[in-house]
Amino acid sequence: MSILLKNIIRFILLLLIQVFVLNEILLHQLVSPYLYMLFILALPFNLPRPALMFLGLLMGLALDMFMNTDGMHAAACVFIAYLRPFVINILSPQGGFETTQKTPSMTSMGVSQFLIYAAILVFLHHTVYFLLEVFGLGNPLYLIMKIVFSTLASLFLIVLYELLFFSKK
Amino acid sequence: MRNLIIFFRRYFNFFLFLLLEVICLVLVFQRNNFQRAAYLSSANDISGKLYDKYSNVQYYFHLKSTNDSLVNENVRLHNALRSSFDSMVTTNGVKIDTIRQYSDDTLRRVIGTQIRRYQYFAAKVINNSINKPINYITIHRGSAQGIRPNMGVISSSGVVGVVRSVSENYSVILSLLSKSNSVSISARVGQGKEMGSVHWDGDDAGFATLKDVPKSARIHKGDTVVTSGYSALFPENIPIGYVENITIGDKASTAYTIRIRLATNFYNLQYVYVIENLLKDEQQRLEDSTYKLIK
Repeated sequence: MSILLKNIIRFILLLLIQVFVLNEILLHQLVSPYLYMLFILALPFNLPRPALMFLGLLMGLALDMFMNTDGMHAAACVFIAYLRPFVINILSPQGGFETTQKTPSMTSMGVSQFLIYAAILVFLHHTVYFLLEVFGLGNPLYLIMKIVFSTLASLFLIVLYELLFFSKK
Repeated sequence: MRNLIIFFRRYFNFFLFLLLEVICLVLVFQRNNFQRAAYLSSANDISGKLYDKYSNVQYYFHLKSTNDSLVNENVRLHNALRSSFDSMVTTNGVKIDTIRQYSDDTLRRVIGTQIRRYQYFAAKVINNSINKPINYITIHRGSAQGIRPNMGVISSSGVVGVVRSVSENYSVILSLLSKSNSVSISARVGQGKEMGSVHWDGDDAGFATLKDVPKSARIHKGDTVVTSGYSALFPENIPIGYVENITIGDKASTAYTIRIRLATNFYNLQYVYVIENLLKDEQQRLEDSTYKLIK
């Protein structure tokens, strides 16, 4: 399957999972997991940065459309799309990843590297999103707990998704 | 000039990033604009249709509770019918023509002393959230069916919210479960009909807070909190919730802080009624012109 087709399918699949499965789950006030930004995490390594940001904007606006959050998800997505190349640069070994696969995943980056990569970006995404959602620092403890617990839940889902779809080489 | 171009080319990514972020933030902070377009909300065609399909599936799982609430409402309405009452005194058993007030007939409206003030539209809920700081409900009725922004919305058991944006066939309702000050419903409670305002505090979808009720009010646990009818959104005496417990915020305060259990069960909302106030424009015009006089 070509990378373009794969990403289009992933875009739609993640959007549907997020809207119709994850948004329906009410775990706790502090835990609201998000999986859709895996689309941005899993875009090909060699994609130029403007393209990354525009795709991030597109994904964010698509979800905003469903969740009535007017631009909050889009802002968070553009933010992590912009920072993604920095994080990859920091984490990549000398001379870049030995890429037989062209996209970041557990197999191409290694489990621990991928986990750190995902954790950093998911944490940044949640920080931006929840800051905009709560809008204000009136209750910092609540905000921090919400960011931390939601990040953990989202990471768990990302690992599950990766194990489901990328277990084989 | 050349240096400027080089500067822009070098930091092109960063400027693009700033531009996109600014676009997003403008979208975020436009949100108070009540009459904004519906294209970026769940009232648009794509998301509306998808939610519609999805709710058709989900609908079957809630049939039982939906039926229960409809039967309960029917009982309540039957009990309110004039035919359910009988005059004990036979000599003045004058029946009042009630058809007049329930009819849309223009001739009767001219003759009748009572004119229609509220019109109800039934609508099916196709999307609903309860765990966000600001929650929205999408319904399958829109401008083509006469829904306009700023109409009140109730369920069979109590207040639900206010219509915020409308597309042709769908509308988005700002739920009562909204933490910001954008939703506050003026309420009355107790035998003295004391005024207060209901806010949601953002943690539990089953409870809200009633503020600004004076300490002189005599309130008991279980009292019904109803709409005041002052706001032109809701008719009066529609239940909002029931008093759960009463506290005094700080000693110097002259008002109670009352925790109320919401009358509407937001967890399984299936049908809502949108209320059109036919006299709203008139009331608004009169109030506006009076404010101008005072200024």
